[in-house]
Amino acid sequence: MAQKTKVKQFIVNELLFGNESLLTSDDQSFLKTGVLDSSGLLELITFIENTFGITVNDDELVPENLDSLDNVEKFILHKATA
Amino acid sequence: MKTAAKTPLPATLIHDFLEASAALYPDHCAVVCDSGRYTYRQINEAANALAASLVDLGLQRSDPVILLFRNSFEYIACYYAILKAGGCVVPINPGFTPPDVAAFIECVQPHTILVESPLLARLRECTSIRSFLVTQKDGDIPPGIRALCKKPALSLQEMLSKPCLENPNLPIAADSCASIIFTSGSTGKPKGAMLSHKNIAANTRSICQYLSITHSDIQMVILPFSYVMGKSLLNTHIAAGARVVLNNQFAFTAAVLRQMEQEQVTAFSGVPSTYAHLVNKSPLAEYKERLPFLRYCSQAGGHMARPVKTALRELLPSHTAIVVMYGATEASARLTYLDPESFHQKIDSIGKAIPGVTVTVRDEQGNEQPAGKEGELVARGENIMMGYYKDPEATHKVLDRWGYHTGDYGYRDDEGFLFVSGRKDELIKVSGYRVNISEIETCILESGLAVECAVMPEADAQGENKLLALVTPVNVSVTAEALHLYCQNKLPPFKRPRDIVIAKAMPKNVNGKIDRDQCRVHIRNHTRTGQ
Repeated sequence: MAQKTKVKQFIVNELLFGNESLLTSDDQSFLKTGVLDSSGLLELITFIENTFGITVNDDELVPENLDSLDNVEKFILHKATA
Repeated sequence: MKTAAKTPLPATLIHDFLEASAALYPDHCAVVCDSGRYTYRQINEAANALAASLVDLGLQRSDPVILLFRNSFEYIACYYAILKAGGCVVPINPGFTPPDVAAFIECVQPHTILVESPLLARLRECTSIRSFLVTQKDGDIPPGIRALCKKPALSLQEMLSKPCLENPNLPIAADSCASIIFTSGSTGKPKGAMLSHKNIAANTRSICQYLSITHSDIQMVILPFSYVMGKSLLNTHIAAGARVVLNNQFAFTAAVLRQMEQEQVTAFSGVPSTYAHLVNKSPLAEYKERLPFLRYCSQAGGHMARPVKTALRELLPSHTAIVVMYGATEASARLTYLDPESFHQKIDSIGKAIPGVTVTVRDEQGNEQPAGKEGELVARGENIMMGYYKDPEATHKVLDRWGYHTGDYGYRDDEGFLFVSGRKDELIKVSGYRVNISEIETCILESGLAVECAVMPEADAQGENKLLALVTPVNVSVTAEALHLYCQNKLPPFKRPRDIVIAKAMPKNVNGKIDRDQCRVHIRNHTRTGQ
């Protein structure tokens, strides 16, 4: 849960410039709803790597890992225990 | 590359291509997308059904119909339906903001607006909607949007529910306007290139010829169909009876490559930022042995930096050609291409004119320039637009007896290869989209937060343009965050400055004009020191 909160804070503060209303639910697709574009996704990856001490490999760049708050949380937990 | 296509494509109307392919390959899979796989028969019958509905609604020849969809089966069915019904397709990029969309609607006064349900909110800045509004399901329309509608809303699902075998075969003139493609939004005057059936059909035939596209080709499409290059991928592959695989999430590069392998894709296309992303943030290297069918990767939409080209060459399978291309919305897409055999020798060239097109280099007086001498690139061919919508002045500036003035300066070398040196005016490309610097500066100044500002492109390490802005604020309480937020609400992502720096005063030259080179220095210093 703490991971999800941190990721959400980062997206809202750094990529949406505080506009929290654009992120309405934890399973909302970032790309389909325009929360992130490809540059924003790269910034999110850098944040995840720096904050949680994990490496996002190129072959892990799939929606199942990174396209919603729920998916990001699951991915971080999976990487931490792998 | 393979040899040229074996049979000429006789179509004179854009939808003739679909109808011919549906007759030749009715059960061949034409489209793969999130919602499933669709044959030529299914697409043609869906388009026929929707065309009949549009005619029933009173659509007349060349009436504009707005199409606001992401790439999907529905987009394709709607696109061909509008054409079959004699209408004029006005595609709107889903990335445009509500004020942009409102400006386009106000400008063209469409007969009908076809919109994907999740994009309905893009209509919220319209003062009223006097067109028929067709969305996926009638129940999808929020009350706020419904209140704007002066006519009853309609359901696309219902219109498509009765596939129609018979092609409408309406008499449509080949030189009638088939599409208006807008290149800028509400902060500047909307500029729409009017393309006729003849323009697009000619370019489609030419592209099929030089890329040797056949019915066995499978094209991965990650570019939106609302963008002229994306649209040409659709037109050419439908014309050849080939297949398009639609993926709207290119940022997830691993998923795109996985799908390319699974679908045995033969062609991939992108703009420079696509390839920068593919080279720098994707597992492309792992796919070198896993893309045995990939014939070529084509690139257009601006100059791709040499380091990206060479890195791409290293990463792609050796049998995969890289086809560098050059064009313009005003040219229905394509003007030149570089034969892959000359890729290394002429790596910075845009190649030579495609079949049916001539490109000359001319000075301000229209005189053709000899090899090695710079001038403006001017193109002629059946693919050149009819003009700008409701803008004879802008049309007059770019179309004359020599052809279409591209606004790009360049030269031809001794062997006839063309090179682009730069834009004539301030238009630049960001993420493949055309961006007008002055439009963004106007937007920032309209915020009421800025006294002066300068926006400028800066190429990053991959040669991709990012926008930087230096701003002098109206008072000390104005922050860069506030300006970012304003731009976020007013501009689509590709037009938003990546870095906005607040300055106490703008650097000026002796004539009092803003010194953009010094602005860049200021921004770099700020970014480095954080001050």
